[in-house]
Amino acid sequence: MTEARLPQEIRPALDNGVPCLMVTCSADGTPNATVISQVHYVDDTRVALSFQFFSKTIKNVRENPRAWAGVMDVVGQVDWLLDLEFERSETEGPIFDAMDMQIEAIASATGMSGVFKLRAADIYRVLSVGKRPF
Amino acid sequence: MIPAKIIRFLEERANIGFAGTRDANLVPSGHRLAGWQIDRSGRTVTAFMPDASSPQLLEALRDNGRIAITFEEVGTHEAYQVKGRYLSHRPVRPDDVELSGASRERFARSLRSLYNDEQAAALMAASIPAPGLAVEIGVDEVFLQTPGPGAGARIAP
Repeated sequence: MTEARLPQEIRPALDNGVPCLMVTCSADGTPNATVISQVHYVDDTRVALSFQFFSKTIKNVRENPRAWAGVMDVVGQVDWLLDLEFERSETEGPIFDAMDMQIEAIASATGMSGVFKLRAADIYRVLSVGKRPF
Repeated sequence: MIPAKIIRFLEERANIGFAGTRDANLVPSGHRLAGWQIDRSGRTVTAFMPDASSPQLLEALRDNGRIAITFEEVGTHEAYQVKGRYLSHRPVRPDDVELSGASRERFARSLRSLYNDEQAAALMAASIPAPGLAVEIGVDEVFLQTPGPGAGARIAP
């Protein structure tokens, strides 16, 4: 599948601090649905998702790289729907540092300091972008 | 089956839910829930879904029947994930719409106490869609999903 470009109008929704939804699927075909703290804009063809715990999500994308993320645009009253493909994991560098800082801010604002801790920034290629009104 | 104390959580405290499915090529997709009802025995969950997600959702469920649903109480972050299989679907009934309204009201209440901002709470509460379709799911497994080191731990069976 070809790469898609993130439109500029998605940026405020990525930065609004509202938790996002993520779905992955294991190699044996079992879906996994989870809430994630943020979808971080890397560039117009890539996003980074936080890897905080050794979870089923992390296991799934390493055996089946396809993922789905839902980002809520509260002001625009739409859900952004992203089809993604896991590319690589980063444990240091500017993307990791920026996400680490945002996670800490979210944790502090939601009473989860000491629980939310970034282990890695998982980088995903955007395969398609769509939006669905609430 | 879903343990009794988690049924109580789902009926009285959980205020947001969403489902994950996958297609024949193991490509996942997500769907917002408009509400839910848990069978007394804890063996089935009926998920109320918006009409907008119906075509893709039903295509995936007819293909392979696999579905995961995560329920969360926004505010405390307490969350559980139910994994199971599609049993049937039908249009929503008036009592389903009432149950959907109750979960939306729990969500709005929790947002008002979190943000102390009526307008922000109303905007976010509007994100819970109107129900159009009731999908019955047989429960196979239940997992703890609350953020933390215990996330992903199996609760049942």
